[in-house]
Amino acid sequence: MTDLSTLLKTQGASLEADDDFDAVNALMRERGWSDGLPIVPPTAQRVEQMLAYCDRPWGEPIAKMAPRYGEATPLRLAANAVMAGCRPEYFPVIMLAVEAMCEEPFNLYAVQATTHLCAPLVIVNGPVVKELDINAGHNAFGPGWQANATIGRAIRLALVNIGGAIPGSGDMSTFGAPSKFSYVAAENEAQSPWEPLHVERGLPKEASAITVIGAECPHNVNDHESITAEGILTTIAGTMLDAGANDLYYDAQPLIVMGPEHAKTVADGGLSKAQAKRFLFEHAHLPLGRFSQENIERRFRVTWKERFATAGPEAPVPMVQKPEDLLIAVIGGAGKHSAVINTFGATRAVTRALKTRDGRYAKSVSDFRK
Amino acid sequence: MSELRKRGLQAAVICSEPFLKLGKNQARVFGVPDLPLLLIPHPLGGLSLEQVEGRAQHAIPQVVELIKTSFK
Repeated sequence: MTDLSTLLKTQGASLEADDDFDAVNALMRERGWSDGLPIVPPTAQRVEQMLAYCDRPWGEPIAKMAPRYGEATPLRLAANAVMAGCRPEYFPVIMLAVEAMCEEPFNLYAVQATTHLCAPLVIVNGPVVKELDINAGHNAFGPGWQANATIGRAIRLALVNIGGAIPGSGDMSTFGAPSKFSYVAAENEAQSPWEPLHVERGLPKEASAITVIGAECPHNVNDHESITAEGILTTIAGTMLDAGANDLYYDAQPLIVMGPEHAKTVADGGLSKAQAKRFLFEHAHLPLGRFSQENIERRFRVTWKERFATAGPEAPVPMVQKPEDLLIAVIGGAGKHSAVINTFGATRAVTRALKTRDGRYAKSVSDFRK
Repeated sequence: MSELRKRGLQAAVICSEPFLKLGKNQARVFGVPDLPLLLIPHPLGGLSLEQVEGRAQHAIPQVVELIKTSFK
C-alpha cells in the first residue's frame, strides 16, 4: 500500500498553509471548501489517523461523485472526514455511505443538482450503531451527538468538495434544507417491535449496514389520542397526503419513521410491517379534485392517461404506487410522534452492509484497521 | 448530448439563465467544454402553452445560427 507521504506528493493532493486554525479556515472559505462552518484543519497527521480505519488502497477511487464526477478516494474522503470533526473509527461508515449513494439506482446526479430540497439521508443499522454510539433515540435527527453530526457533515463536505455540489452551479436546490448540513440517524432496533430495516432489505441481523435515501426533512405526525393500530396508521396516512410531493410523480419510496410508542401500538394490534405498509398504501389517497386544474389537465390526464384521462374529481390518487415501495424504520425516543419523510422521487434507496475487503460482514470497525 | 458532440454531430443544450453555470460545468465534466448552450428566458415550468411557444421562438434563431455555422 502506498504510504501517505508518497500520495501527498501527487499533483493537487496537498497544499501548504500556515499552521494556524484561523489561517487554514480563511483559506478553506476562500476556496469554497466548506459548508460555511469552521472546519478542522486536515493535516497530514490527522488524515493518516483517519485512514488507519481503511483497508482499501488510499489513492484508488471507490466511486465517482456527481455532478462533478470527482474521484472519491479514501484519501480525499479522509480529509473531508477530518474537516467535519469525525473520529477515525467513523470512517468505514462514511466510505460505505458514499459508495452506496454513488450506485446507479440512487441517482446522485439528480439528487445533488435538482431544484428540489432533498439530501442523502443515511440510516444506520446493526452492531456498529452501539459501537460508534450513533443516536437512535431522542433527537436522533438533530444535534447533540458527535457520530450523527460529524458522519453526516463529512458526507456533505465530500458531496461539495468532491462531488461539486456548489450552490447555484452544481446544487440548484431552490431552498436547500438544514438536512444538507448533516442527515444521519440510527434505527432504534432495541425498541422496534419489527425486523430492522436492513433485515427487511435482505441482510442478516448481525450485519452492520447503512441505507441511503434521497430525502426531504422529517414531517411530524402527532397522534396522542389513538390507541389502536388502525388509529395510528390513519393519522400517518393522513399526514402522507401531499399535493406538492415529488413522490407523487415517480415510483417513489417515502420513509415512514415510526416513533417507538406508535410502532408498539401498531404491532400490539397484530400488524406486521408489511401489513402496516398495506394499510398506509390503501389509505393514503388524495381525490383528484384536490389537485389544481392545471396539474389535472397537464399532468395527470397526460402522464397517466390510462388512469386519469377521464377520471372525475373523486378518483383516488395514491401517494405511493405499491405498498412495498414504502420504507418503515423505528427511530426516536419517548413520545406519541412519528414522521413522514418524502423523497426526491426519482431515486431508489440503497442498502449496503459493512464488509471487509475479503467480503466478510464486519463484526466491528476495528476489522478495517490496517 | 455530449456523446453526440463527441461523434462530431452538431448538438446543443437549451437552458435558462440560472442553469447556465451548471450547464457549462457539466459540459466540461463530460469532455465537451465547447458544447453550445442556447439561452432562453427563465422559467421553464409553470408556463402557458403560448409562453412555451414564446420560449421556442427565442431558441429557434439560435438553433438556425448553430446549424448554419456547422455548414461553414
